[in-house]
Amino acid sequence: MVAKINADVTNGVVITSDTSGELELQANGVTKAKVTANGLQDANGNSLRGGMYRNLIINGDMQIAQRGTSSAGEGATEGFKTVDRWNYTTGGTATDGRFTLTQDTADAPKDKGFGYCTKFDCTTADTSIAAGEGLIWRTKLEGQTLQAIKKGTASAEQITLSFWAKGTAATYAVELHDEDNNRHNTQKFTITSSWQKFTLTFAADTTGTFNNDNGASLGINFWLHAGSNYTSGTFTSNTWATRTLTNIAVGIDSFYSSTANEFFLTGIQLEIGEGASNFEFLPYDVQLQRCQRYYEETDPDGRVGLHGYIKQTNTKGRVFWNWKVKKRSAPTLSVGFVTAGLFTLRYGDAGTRNCSNSQVTLGLSTIDCCTMDIEIAETMLSGYGLTCDVRGDLSGNTRLIADAEL
Amino acid sequence: MMEYKLINNDEGNASTIKCTNDNGKVKFIPVDPANTDYQEYLEWVAEGNTPEEAE
Repeated sequence: MVAKINADVTNGVVITSDTSGELELQANGVTKAKVTANGLQDANGNSLRGGMYRNLIINGDMQIAQRGTSSAGEGATEGFKTVDRWNYTTGGTATDGRFTLTQDTADAPKDKGFGYCTKFDCTTADTSIAAGEGLIWRTKLEGQTLQAIKKGTASAEQITLSFWAKGTAATYAVELHDEDNNRHNTQKFTITSSWQKFTLTFAADTTGTFNNDNGASLGINFWLHAGSNYTSGTFTSNTWATRTLTNIAVGIDSFYSSTANEFFLTGIQLEIGEGASNFEFLPYDVQLQRCQRYYEETDPDGRVGLHGYIKQTNTKGRVFWNWKVKKRSAPTLSVGFVTAGLFTLRYGDAGTRNCSNSQVTLGLSTIDCCTMDIEIAETMLSGYGLTCDVRGDLSGNTRLIADAEL
Repeated sequence: MMEYKLINNDEGNASTIKCTNDNGKVKFIPVDPANTDYQEYLEWVAEGNTPEEAE
């Protein structure tokens, strides 16, 4: 039982008393809110904790995918392949297992408000698991965004990770990895073929503070496959300890056990306190800008104009690429293309000239911009203006890439 | 196997590292301790490797 205060349409306010220590607020007999030991909750038990940006995870609803929406044949190498801020690692030893990774819409739990999810579809099984194999889906958070957790102090807070998942029935593990202090805390979860919200509250950790900087301090690692290097120890749920690899994924199933296996994931939220609140949906443009702190590319289907000057007579031009969003660190730069990059230059009265990626050197990368030097053996005078179009609109899908990921 | 080559800025100081992988893919890494590619480069150097000097 539970104490109730009901605004009844016939009898007015009806109070039902009991000794449960909990209270429900009702509108004509229908529960609208609860007061429990964990604080205020809605009728479904979700915390009514408020506040903008309470979700410490960026792109937890998988709606931003600047790099592309699908990538097949994954498993051999690691990296960021589809949705922003999330990548996979292999554990260090190559596996024979392969999967297709997709920013999926068809299976997303739209009735829960999610238009996207990440889909893992096993395409090659691997039942001979080497010791060092792994499949870990992860994101990393900057230390300066985690200071309110007060980790490593006597006032350290509990934190709650919630997410929606479904797939071929299996038990997997999710690990919080304190990269500053080599500590971790792991819990397991069991999925079914139906979407389910998982709420995992992690104990406060009074040992090891997070660095207050732009480096990686906390990794959120979903372990979907692991060899004995990660499974041969002892599993202790929800306990912070020095990271021991053999203890991380004890007892999990292998995503690579069958080509019939699928795993879907979305709505990942990490917040301070016990219990999960409803997922914090951000507008697309806000979420995109948060992702662009870590990764940005010019439009692969459009044309972007960069401006600069002739740097050396008859030899070299220089243009500048300013980021839309200030970066976490000076980013690594590259040119993306299908067969060869294509750039169109204009200078003086010489009309247009095309050049390829092999003539381009990117450099002087800062958190605000970079330069692109272009070798062009043409008659031109230093100091004159120069424009350069990055030709994503042509078949090569040429684009400039700035990567400041963790 | 990665190949690294230093690139000088206008003042003649190495400010960028050109990295080419086995597939010929090129990326330009800044000298920034917070950049994860630069951290990998430092590990590669610590293993006793030497980058190609700037031209």
